[in-house]
Amino acid sequence: MSALREGIDASKLGDLAGTGTETGARRYRFGPGFIGFSGHFPGNPILPAIVQIRAVVSLAEAESGKTLRLAAVRSAKFLTPIRPDEDVWIRYRRRVDSGMDICDATLSVAEKTVAAFQLELAEGETTR
Amino acid sequence: MLPISAERLIPHRAPMRLVDTLVSVTDGCAVAESVLPRSTMMADGEGKIDEVACMELIAQSYAAFRGYMDRMNGKPPGEGFLVGVRNLEITGTAYAGDRLLTSIRTVAAVGGFAVVEGAVTRGDETLATGTLTLWLVDPDAGGG
Repeated sequence: MSALREGIDASKLGDLAGTGTETGARRYRFGPGFIGFSGHFPGNPILPAIVQIRAVVSLAEAESGKTLRLAAVRSAKFLTPIRPDEDVWIRYRRRVDSGMDICDATLSVAEKTVAAFQLELAEGETTR
Repeated sequence: MLPISAERLIPHRAPMRLVDTLVSVTDGCAVAESVLPRSTMMADGEGKIDEVACMELIAQSYAAFRGYMDRMNGKPPGEGFLVGVRNLEITGTAYAGDRLLTSIRTVAAVGGFAVVEGAVTRGDETLATGTLTLWLVDPDAGGG
């Protein structure tokens, strides 16, 4: 597991709050020492977009118990920067669309949506 | 002036700076080079780079391009923020030590926003393609 994924896992608060096999939610708090803030940016820490997407994929993995790979980002909107120590709720719903495993997700801080994604996921690791 | 270290062009710093060098710039297009070390936060125990890194490579390559253009115009590199992604397809896997080239093309630049097409390649293999929207902070504008 990468240091980034370890850092994301260490930032989760509480257990999965899934409402069924296709949905899930979890609260995270990325502290000032979180590795993703390092260098992004000096004196102006902002949670990188790729960390936000990686966190959704990791959450979906935890819910499904399967290794998942990000195959595509159909769309993503980053509406408000996420700062250190903010409580971030990640909520997602998975569905099948034209044979593709789609994950719709939102990130919210203080009940306000700060990011929204539509991802394509695939099972299993790629090999060289 | 080219090639030039990306550290002189973008605000990202290690370990989140993924682009090493801006290699070429031509008419709104640019190519940047990256070699991610085994120690990068993006690599797992086998050296496989997390797929999400491709998105950041495109964003940072565009930032390097913008920073270069700012410098050519006698200004310090400005800031920019990723605000949108569309149709980013990840078709290959990068590994630590791979020489990755990220090509970007400015599709539109309107009202402080830029739409950028990007592709990450390793040799002849395309690892990812997609379109990003970035908000460019005007360093001459007042207020927040």
